[in-house]
Amino acid sequence: MSLVLHDYELDSDSYKVRLLLSALGLPYAKVAVNVHPGHEQRSPAYLRLNPLGNLPILVDGETTLRDSGAILCYLARLHDREGQWLPANPVPFGEVMMWLFFAGADLAPATLARLHHMLEVPADADAVGAASRRAFRIMDDHMTKRELEGFAWFVGDQATLADIALFPAIALSRDFGIDHDEYPALRRWMRRVRTIPGFITMPGIPDYH
Amino acid sequence: MGFAAGWYALALGDGLEPGTSAGTQLFDKELVVWRDASGASHVWEDRCPHRGMRLSFGFVRGNHIACLYHGWQYDEAGQCRHIPAHPTLEVPETIKVPTYASVEAAGMIWVRWDGEAAGQPPADIAAVPVRSLYLDREPETVAQLLAAGRAGSFETLSPGSFATALEGADLFLALQPYAAERTALHIARTGGDLPLKDIAMWAEELRASLEALPAAGLAPAARQAGAAA
Repeated sequence: MSLVLHDYELDSDSYKVRLLLSALGLPYAKVAVNVHPGHEQRSPAYLRLNPLGNLPILVDGETTLRDSGAILCYLARLHDREGQWLPANPVPFGEVMMWLFFAGADLAPATLARLHHMLEVPADADAVGAASRRAFRIMDDHMTKRELEGFAWFVGDQATLADIALFPAIALSRDFGIDHDEYPALRRWMRRVRTIPGFITMPGIPDYH
Repeated sequence: MGFAAGWYALALGDGLEPGTSAGTQLFDKELVVWRDASGASHVWEDRCPHRGMRLSFGFVRGNHIACLYHGWQYDEAGQCRHIPAHPTLEVPETIKVPTYASVEAAGMIWVRWDGEAAGQPPADIAAVPVRSLYLDREPETVAQLLAAGRAGSFETLSPGSFATALEGADLFLALQPYAAERTALHIARTGGDLPLKDIAMWAEELRASLEALPAAGLAPAARQAGAAA
């Protein structure tokens, strides 16, 4: 079995997968896709792997998966024997999935806002900026209450896929003009994420803090 | 303008861990609030004199704060002490970050704004910090809505501080005039034992009210009273 990640260094969704692979200590082969300026992810060869024309794509033998959330769940189920990242217990499982879907849907405007600022992807900058702030506020309210009850992570008492999936959008928000000033609980939580064994950075996320 | 010289809360004290920094604004001016390794807090202009980078993007090392761009390090007095590209250089005294007087009281970090006219620092009443609330609303409007009782019953302690009661708990709110259209409210519990999470949930509803309430509905008298308080 060998894992192959079709990856773009500046893509925050690819980064989520790289981050979990590093935390799990899994060896894998990385294929760099020329997203900018080549749009290689929308070439016929890549559309055969993923008709949505986006990244990341994970190939594991006969299995091909798209969508960072699905890939995170797959890797956790297959390689996380302790069940830390995707708990088996229905309640924390449901809560982790809730935040994974939030990361995929409600944080999509943040992903788009960043691509708009960095790579000139078309977007209504005001609308995606406002939607990003709404989502970050929901995250900060959640972590504020979690801290007041003595918890450090989005779900349960250790880091899960929820923390991995939620981290890039806010950690990179300065790329699209949203400071961290208004999110004190997220600021503290981002420092904790950096302490996860195997934590790695990506361009836009400094390696010290 | 209801706000002028005075002491303004910028953050909850226990929300700023030793060795960390946070960016904020007061009257649109960018400030960095940081806590050194010995536990002392500092409020400075959020601007590295070298290239203008926000120091709050940087990192704290011991009792120095360092800029993210080129690692210039500043001591507790704002004096630049180390420039990594010129490690043997005796840094000139002129490379200095403007600093502000600040104190910790009532569980919050306060800055003196602006100069001696601000008067005495706030009293260090016993308080349990709850949360900071950030609102997309003009500071004057938020103060007027609170003073006029439109978002619940609040006692105006000063132009920028309020008290209220919630299910047997006493709450203290300090208003930070963040920017022209943005306001922060720092909230602490000064009495009672209502769980902090319950107060945090009340605060979310308060934020929703204060962002949605029509300012035009305020009677002119209330507006004047708020501004003159």
